[in-house]
Amino acid sequence: MKIFHYINFLIMFLLLIGICVLEDFLVSKSLSDIQNRCYKIEKVLERKENLKNMEIILTIDNLEYTWLNYESEMCYMVNHKSIQEIGEEIARLKLYIPSNDINSFKVSLQVIKSYCHSYLHFMGANFHNIL
Amino acid sequence: MLTIIVRSILIYLIVLFVFRLMGKRQLGQMQPFELVLTLIIADLATIPMAEVSVPVLHGIAPLLTLVLLHFILTLISRNSQKFSKIISGKPVIIINPKGIDYTAMKKLNLSTDDLFAALRECGYFNIFEIQYAIMETNGKVSVMPKTQFAPVTNGDLKKKIENNYIPIILVSEGKIIKENAELAGLSNNEILQIIQKNSTKKTTKLKDVLLFTIDQVGKAFLQLKYQEGKSFQTKRLVKQ
Repeated sequence: MKIFHYINFLIMFLLLIGICVLEDFLVSKSLSDIQNRCYKIEKVLERKENLKNMEIILTIDNLEYTWLNYESEMCYMVNHKSIQEIGEEIARLKLYIPSNDINSFKVSLQVIKSYCHSYLHFMGANFHNIL
Repeated sequence: MLTIIVRSILIYLIVLFVFRLMGKRQLGQMQPFELVLTLIIADLATIPMAEVSVPVLHGIAPLLTLVLLHFILTLISRNSQKFSKIISGKPVIIINPKGIDYTAMKKLNLSTDDLFAALRECGYFNIFEIQYAIMETNGKVSVMPKTQFAPVTNGDLKKKIENNYIPIILVSEGKIIKENAELAGLSNNEILQIIQKNSTKKTTKLKDVLLFTIDQVGKAFLQLKYQEGKSFQTKRLVKQ
């Protein structure tokens, strides 16, 4: 019985460590990937000054699809409300394409990058967050 | 809504598991650190239950952390008297043969009303009946009465009394408790025979029995549903 008790606590300890590692890995992987994809979109924008082209449309669709996947994974670990702004901004990006509103599109991209950057800091394990 | 229901069930089961792991002491006599833990657990459990956007893991992770912490604290305090005194405190004598120790009462932040309420709970209404009163680490007061006010025991009267045995429940609400029947060394048929022999109707069935207990020396108690209970003597049990 006593051994069972110790095993229980060992399992819990390992489970907690597992959760922490998984959360850190998932958050940093997802947010860094989204950030990189935004940089790539910016580079495409430098080459093509029109939003109504297949490359931009496909990249944004791809970004949205990737984000939805990441979001569903992160929902197990992170408060859903804390990450919903990124999804909202991606949806906005798609709205700017038909009207070819490049300025607003660029602003939204910046906002997404900024959210990713701040979430990476806010959700990661560091001394600031602990205190 | 379904999400909330499923989450509530899940969290309830986890909290139940957590309390089972912490042991029975947690439910009765709580030490200060256990009280703190219980309060935090109660609060933590409700957050993911009510807020759907918060992952269940946000409730589970701190719960498991607290259980681990509790386990470590208990383990250390079991092995170190000093540590135990730091986190649980030590028993304090608040009443001694000279009277109430006011300094101790002030240290414990205890008023005379609190003290008297605790003494009354112990069955003592007059302070002069008390030799010692000790405030335990779990907040309960233990009382040692003066010799002349201590309850008389059979030992004091030098009476020869047969030992008491713990009665075991053989039938409860129409069902035979297998482990207890094995412990008593009685088969289902033997139990039914004893019941039928001692009940008003000879056709009594198991489902009519509310409670049937027996002790080592064969003292039995039988109560049928919707009827009065009766005690009787039956054969002495072989095993127990």
